[in-house]
Amino acid sequence: MHKALVACRAGVGSSLMLKIKTEQVIKENGFPIQVEHASLDAVPGFDGDLLITLADVAKELESQGLKQTIIGINNIVDKNEIQSKLAGFLNS
Amino acid sequence: MLSEMIKEEFIQLNLEVADWEEAIRRSAEPLLYGGKITAEYIEKIIETSQTLGPYIVVTKHVALPHAPAQFGALDLAMGITTLKTPVKSGNKANDPVKYLFCMSAKDSETHLESMAELVNLLSDHYFYQILDTAQSPMDILEYIIEKE
Repeated sequence: MHKALVACRAGVGSSLMLKIKTEQVIKENGFPIQVEHASLDAVPGFDGDLLITLADVAKELESQGLKQTIIGINNIVDKNEIQSKLAGFLNS
Repeated sequence: MLSEMIKEEFIQLNLEVADWEEAIRRSAEPLLYGGKITAEYIEKIIETSQTLGPYIVVTKHVALPHAPAQFGALDLAMGITTLKTPVKSGNKANDPVKYLFCMSAKDSETHLESMAELVNLLSDHYFYQILDTAQSPMDILEYIIEKE
């Protein structure tokens, strides 16, 4: 089972919506991923292997040399985008 | 429920704005006047979108202006603003922005159900038709209540 953190800057808006949509996709596809949700402040202490966030936040995180795989989502209601990016992570 | 966060007076239709910053500012005004956020909260959203990019643009044509609670979110609330002429935010995948859902939340738990309802609405093509054709704020609010 993989552990993922869905994060955005505030942790109350976009990331909450992204978490809801991501959990729907994970359930529908039976992906072995557990999802937590927080603001970016939680990223340094996160011990899982996947970070899911909005695309422009992902760009910023990528420059920080984190050990986790980072997935950036452009459109938080697009299940196909979320599904294909999670599948890409699981297949890597 | 989402409809409990949105008051009729928080909904503004076909606003004319010059640019992205004005769009954010105007979308937040009803929450400011309604005592749901402070003026600092609006400045924080604008400052963050200028320094860190248009992270509040979440899907095609839709922005969710908000900031962390400690910058002046006083009470749980959401406004809906539609623009007469869409504006560019700099978010290439989702520009131009036509609909702004300015929100204020003090924590990430109490409005979980409401955010799930908003996610569903933003996946619903008919909701955008309602946003485009609404004659009054109540047209939008009634649709949201009907969908709950």
